[in-house]
Formats: sequence, C-alpha cells, structure tokens
Amino acid sequence: MSEIKPRNGASSYQVEIKLRPDYTDAEGQGALGLLHSLGVNTAREVRASRLYELRGALTSAQVQQAARELLCDPVTQEFRMFNGHTPVLNGMNHWRIEVWLKPSVTDPVGDTVRAALEEMGLAAAESVRVGTAYHVTGKCGRNQLEKAVARSLANPVIHRFTVTEAPL
Amino acid sequence: MTVAAPEKELKTVEKPKVFAFNALSLKDLKALSAESLWSFNEAELLAIQAHFKAQRREPRAAEVETLAQTWSEHCKHKTFTGPIRYNDGKKTRLIKNLFDETIAKATKQVAKPWCLSVFKDNAGVVAFGKKWALAYKVETHNHPCAVEPYGGAETGVGGVVRDILGVGLGAKPVLNTDIFCFAPPAYEGPLPEGTLAPLRTLRSVVAGVRDYGNRMGIPTAAGGIWFDADYRLNPLVFVGTVGVLPVWAVKKEIKPGDLIVTVGGRTGRDGLHGATFSSANLTDEAPASAVQIGHAINEKRALDALLCARDRKLYRAVTDCGAGGFSSAVGEMADGLGARVRLENAKLKASDLKPWEIWLSESQERMVLAVPPKNLKALEAVFSAEGCELSVIGEFVKSGRLVVTFKDETVVDLDLKFLHKGLPRVERTAVWDVPKPSSKGAVTKLKLAEILQRCLAHLNVCSRETIIRQYDHEVQGGTVIKPLQGVRHDGPGDACVIWPHAATGDMEDLSGFAVSHGLNPEYGKTDPYRMALACADEALRNLLCVGADVSRAAFLDNFCWASPEDPHQLGRLVRAAEGARDAAIGFGVPFISGKDSFYNQSKDVNGKDLPIPGTLLISAVAPVPDVSKALTMDIKGPGNALYLLGWTSEELCGSLYNEVCGLSGGSVPEVEVRSALDGYRAVGSAIAKGLVLSAHDLSEGGLAAALSEMCFSGEFGAAIDLDDVARSGSIYSNEALLFSESPSRVLLEVKPENEAAFLKCAKGATVKRIGETIANPILKVRGLDGLVVLEEPLSALKTAWQRTLPEAME
Repeated sequence: MSEIKPRNGASSYQVEIKLRPDYTDAEGQGALGLLHSLGVNTAREVRASRLYELRGALTSAQVQQAARELLCDPVTQEFRMFNGHTPVLNGMNHWRIEVWLKPSVTDPVGDTVRAALEEMGLAAAESVRVGTAYHVTGKCGRNQLEKAVARSLANPVIHRFTVTEAPL
Repeated sequence: MTVAAPEKELKTVEKPKVFAFNALSLKDLKALSAESLWSFNEAELLAIQAHFKAQRREPRAAEVETLAQTWSEHCKHKTFTGPIRYNDGKKTRLIKNLFDETIAKATKQVAKPWCLSVFKDNAGVVAFGKKWALAYKVETHNHPCAVEPYGGAETGVGGVVRDILGVGLGAKPVLNTDIFCFAPPAYEGPLPEGTLAPLRTLRSVVAGVRDYGNRMGIPTAAGGIWFDADYRLNPLVFVGTVGVLPVWAVKKEIKPGDLIVTVGGRTGRDGLHGATFSSANLTDEAPASAVQIGHAINEKRALDALLCARDRKLYRAVTDCGAGGFSSAVGEMADGLGARVRLENAKLKASDLKPWEIWLSESQERMVLAVPPKNLKALEAVFSAEGCELSVIGEFVKSGRLVVTFKDETVVDLDLKFLHKGLPRVERTAVWDVPKPSSKGAVTKLKLAEILQRCLAHLNVCSRETIIRQYDHEVQGGTVIKPLQGVRHDGPGDACVIWPHAATGDMEDLSGFAVSHGLNPEYGKTDPYRMALACADEALRNLLCVGADVSRAAFLDNFCWASPEDPHQLGRLVRAAEGARDAAIGFGVPFISGKDSFYNQSKDVNGKDLPIPGTLLISAVAPVPDVSKALTMDIKGPGNALYLLGWTSEELCGSLYNEVCGLSGGSVPEVEVRSALDGYRAVGSAIAKGLVLSAHDLSEGGLAAALSEMCFSGEFGAAIDLDDVARSGSIYSNEALLFSESPSRVLLEVKPENEAAFLKCAKGATVKRIGETIANPILKVRGLDGLVVLEEPLSALKTAWQRTLPEAME
C-alpha cells in the first residue's frame, strides 16, 4: 500500500492482494498458459494478484483497515504495499504486468467495493478502481511480453496495461 | 416528493448545439451524417431537412441523435419492413413489407388463441396454464462481442434479461439460452488489425455469459455453437431469456400524468454510439466509450424490486433501456401520448455529462417505469429496500410531443408522429441466384468407422461439456431435463425442460416447458429456403424428443445477415424469410418474437468484404404437460426395440458427411412438412402415453451420429440393419443411409412389451423397426448387402466425440 499523490486534499492509495506463496494460483497458471500459447515460452511461472486503487480523504490507517477487513482473505491471502515507481534491474528475470480498466470504462467491481467501504464506515472513499497484476518469472523480452499481453490478458479497447521489470 | 433532487450538480451546462442543417446540400448532409456516426440514408436526411424547414427552425443536436436512434436498423428494422423489388430467378415482383408478408403473415394465418402478445412488446408472450404466461426473447449482441467479447457477452445477457423484465409489467426470468457462431478456435489465417483471435473470442464470450447468468441466479441450460471460418471477422452471439409472468400482467397502459421513473444503474457515458463497429481510436482521453461493462448485481437488485412493485401494482408500464437509452425507451413509451422529460433529475455516474449524453447514454441495468403519482412513495420504499436507486425524470402528457429539457435549456422538442411514422421507406433490390443443380461428387475411400469418428469429433457435433459445465444450469432448482444427459451426465440432450413453479409458487403443478433451437448455416449456403425449413423442423423435433406438446409450440426468429444493400445477399434473405413463413404455416407454429442483425461483414486483410454465411436461428418453446414424463436421449437398457421415425433420402449437400470426406454437391435436405407433422403427432401421443424410453433427433451426421450418441450416453450397445430403414428408391449406399441428413427423423427406444401399443399410436406415420439395443457396448450395423459394415466399441466413439473441444480450447 502506498500513497501516490494527494489531489484536492484527497489521497490515492494502491493496495495489492496476493495469494500466499504456498497456495496454488489458478489464475496465474491460466495466464501462464495464455502467454505460452502466444510464444512466450521462456516464462516459467506467473502469480496473479488483485490491485485496488482507492481515492478519497482516507488516512493510511483507514486504508490498512480496509485491506485487512474487506479486501483480503487472511487465510489464503496477504496484502502489501506496492510501490510501482522503483524498477529494479534484475537481468529481465522478473516482470510485472499491470492491467487496469481505462478511466472512461465503468468498473462495477470497484463501485461495489466503494459501496462496501461506505458500509464499514469509510465513507470518505470517493472512488475505487480494480486491476490485476501478474508477476512473471522467466527471461522474457519486453516487446514480446507487451504483444502477448495485448492479445491475451488485456484488451486494449478497454484496458490500459504496463509491463515493467520488477523486483522479486 | 414529486421530483427527485439531482444527485450531483452538473458543473457546466452547455447550450444544446444547433445545427446549420437546413441550408446544407445533400452532399454536405451525407458528410455530416458519416462524421457524426448517424448512418442515415439520403431519403432520411432529406426528410429530416424538410421537416425542420417546415418548422422554420434548425434541428438541435440531440433531436437529430434521437432520430438517428429511433430510425436505426436496430429499432425500426428498415430492411425487414421496407419495400423490396425481388427477382426470384424468373420474374420480378414488389414485396411491400417482407416482415408482414412472411413472419407476421404466418402468425396471423396460424391464429393461435394462446398467443397473448406477439411482436409488439419486448418479448413474445404465450399462455402457460390458466394463470401464467411465458415470455421469450432472443437477442443478438454481435458487434459489441467482436470488440470486447467478455463485456459484450455480459451486456448481451443483461439486455435480454431486461427485455423479459420489461415485457408486460415484468416477468421473472427462469432460463437463459446462448447460441454462438464463431470461427474454429484453431483458425490460423491472417486477421486484420483489431480483430480478436477466434479462440479468445470464444473463451471470453463464454466467460461473459457465464458470469452474468450465474451472478443473477438464472440457469443457462440451452444453446449451441456453430463453427465456420467465415465468422472470423463477425462472430455471432445470440442470447435468450424465458420469463414467467401472471396473465394479468401481460398488458401495459400509460395514462397522462404518470411519472417517468428510472430505476437501476446510474447514467454514464457508456455505449454512446455503441452501434458503430469501429473503436480503433478509443483512447484514454476518448470522451465516449463504445464498450460497456455489465453489473449483474445491480440488475438482480432491480429485478427483485421490480417484481415486488409489480405484484403490488405500483406502476402501469415498464420497458428497458437498451440501444438509444432514455431516448428510445421514453420515446417508445410516449408513442400515441407525449412526454415531458427533465434530464437534470437523472442520477449520474459522472458529473460532467452533457445533456445529450444523458439522453442517449446506453448505460446498462436501467429500466423506465410509468408510475401514477400517488404510488411514488410506496415505489421508493420498495426500491430502497433492495438498495436500488430511483429517479423521477418527468411525466407522460397528452401533447403528442417529446419535450426534453435540461434546466432552462430545451434539448429535444419533437413531434412524436414524425419520430415514429416519419421514416421514409427506401426501396431495395433483391435477386435470388437459383443454384445450379449439382450432381453428387466423387465417392470417398474412407471406411465407415473412420467417417463416423470424424463426424463425432467434428467441431459442430462434438461434446460441449467444457462450456456447459461453466454455466450454472441448476440454480432455481427447476431444470428437469438438463443439457447433459445419460448415465454419466455427459450425453448431448436435444432440449432442456424447465419446471418454473419455484417462481410461481404453485408447487403442486407439474407442468413445465421445453426450449430448443435449430440452426444450420451450411444448408443456407446452397439454399436459404430449405435451410429455414430445416431449422424450424429441427427446433420442433428437439422439443418432441423431450416430450413437449409440439402442437402448442411457438417460434422465435433471429436473422443475422450481411449487408442488405447487396441485392444477392438480400435475395437470400427473402428466400430464408419465405422458408420461415412456409415452415410456420405448415407446422401450425406461430412466430411470437424476433430480431434481425444486418451488416455482418467486414474487410479482411486484403481489404475485401467478408460476409458471414446467412444465418437464421429458430428458437422454439413448448409446454410439457407433466415434467415427470419428460424424456432423455440415452438408451435405457438392453433388448429394447429401436424405431426410426421418418423417411431417409440421399440428402448430403451441406452435410457433415460431405465435409469430413471432402466432398460436395448433392441435394440440400428438404422438409416435407405434412408428413413430418403426421409423424410428430403420432410419436408425440406415444411419448405422452409413456410408450417411449428415449428419443433423439437426427441432425448433423445423420443416423450414425445420433445412434452413437444415444448408445454411449446410456452405455448400452445397438445392432441395426440398414435394410430396414424406410428410404427413397434412389438410395443405394450404406454411406447415404448412415450419414444422410434428411430432416424430420427421430430415433426411438421402445420396450418390447410396448411395441404393439406404440405401433398403434404411430399408425399413419413412417415408423420402422431398424434394430435393438444390446448389453455389449458396441455399435453394430448390418449393411444393405446383409454383411456387417460397421462394428465399433462405444468407448472409441465417445472418446472421439469428447476430445475435440477441450483440445481446441487448451
């Protein structure tokens, strides 16, 4: 979870919800299969996680509470701060793909989360957007990954996505 | 409170744009129309210009947009209801209105008193018992699914469910259906930029249908898929919903003074100009999004609240917001009356929407009600209990005009007569190119066992279990005959049977209904007329096989075609429509609802237009008087007689046999309506008396494929003798007897002690005993020469049938 940039007195936070490492990640395996079918054969493993971008006059403690009590299943999942602004060069062995709905596209899951936050007393949440992150292990090329993502994990008509080198 | 306060203050109130329209030349008008994505034709542009010249004023932007929506192919069905000069290959005649002269004519001529509402409302409605009625609608959502298959499929399902919510005073959805036409998943040819790979479209559409239906708690239990490479640029997605409503709720009537109330989701920029296929320049900054994302939970809330309000009689009419949003929903409801709309009262997703955007937005999950003012308080309580928003955006008035304002600004002020009746008709030309009679081609060297395996493994026949299992087909607890049947619950059923009384509360009532489909674009490539007859026949036959009362069946038509501006394509459409008419009149089955989708053609990588094969989906629904007597298709035991209903001729054009053997030619299967109907009546009475153990229709792959499916689903073998098959004199090969796709044939399993009674019932119909079931799990066929020509273990046949789709979807 990290505070990105304050805007009009409101803040924007990103929360990432990951499956604990000892659980089988079906979504990640599905994504790996798709990448393989598009020729990214060097990808060895994909782990998927859910991203939430919360905007509003929330404190960091409130976002922690939201992550713990609403967004995360404490048995199988863990939440963490995500900081997307410090790419670490690692010989292209780890990649992070993020897929988000474009701002002009309605995000029903985000809307539902926002309503749920309000119900738990966090009415200051103005908007919530939901995305998916894929952590790819394996020596891949950026171009190759970007092409494959546009043809499988994201539809450029409604999604924006990023492919970045990632720390482990 | 008569008018709800605006939820969000709009920041900027733009003056409605006014066009300098009246002075434009035709050329400039056409350029403006193209640029604004209105898709008006010349006559329409001139009619609009003349209308506003007579009014001595320029049209406002939202007025032209409203006309564009209301006069669109989607809403007015210009092709089907416009005049067509048709050359049938011999002479030319003028068809004034193709719809009136084919589909509607059949319904009129068949004249069934149990048709409670046909073609007028959001869905067709037939009586179901004394107190209840069934509403059925099938929609297409082709273009959205081509651009964003998951969202397109979701909103397609959401839209057709809302059609059922918006029929009469609202029906409770009890079944969803889905039929897809895609390119084979393994298609590897070149695709133009922006076209999604067929496998991706297939996966995402299935996921969209699954998620929306499952989340709303509606079983998805009937459907089909057809694969043909010519759907690669224009995939077809048909979605249908059946609902149950009380007979008193079939009629709606709006009175002047009724409030215009919107319920469900909020209004955003979703789907503005959604009808336009191109979305290439849709960027982060794009102000409008042609793509919509569904919100099943919102729709479920609206559903629950709406049905509660219906039973308390709190509103007088309801309709859904589909294409064109408020403009089309309010415009339609106000027809013959008048409406006064205040857009500042609409609840919005974003605060900076312009008035015309609010008026035309296609945001999902919205319904419009006509509410007597005294009921508003009670209605608000019902909706707020479900966490569902409601806003009053105006009232119906007796002015004959549609007046829409945003605060002090007039956005639309249109004469409703011009809006609904002012559309000029443009005559189109249609030519039917009579196909040259083609003789049967070469003979195949393939062995019968090999041909059979290839037929069963073919994409258009193989098991759909991978897809069906993703859908919840059990929710609501009324799915009596399920899509997958047999001892291992994996055989291909002909139709599903639904017992909807968990929704009506009449728990002692054992009546239900069956739903089935007929579709075969391959026949249509040679003869669309015979294709239409074959589709209707197949849908009816499928109903018969589960024990439905086919004398009470009703049809729905869905035509998906290429450009009607191409006279040859239009000629094929006329042929298909005439086939549908003759099938309906011949079988005595009325059409109750339908929809068409045109311009399903796109430029391929070489810039050449690729039209889809002309596609007609016939959906059928019929009551099942007692669901405890419904049938499945799997063989029930050894030592039972196998009877074949119907006559076999050598009809292999467009058949699966031709395709898997690489052959062509022959004649397209032709339905003999009168004898087919005699057969269905006879077999129907035998089934009703409980004399039949299992029944399965013969379609793609003919007798061999149908018998294989019955055997491996029931895990009992069969031994048949082809010499016992009732056949035309010209047929002389085992191949033709096994694989011909002559229509109107059904395979039946009958217990030996019931054979005499069965034959008594079947008197007058062509029913022949062709063999019996055996305990040994093999399929054994004796040929015309008396020798065994085929002997295959069921396990090999089943493996071939099951393997294809999971492998293709890997």
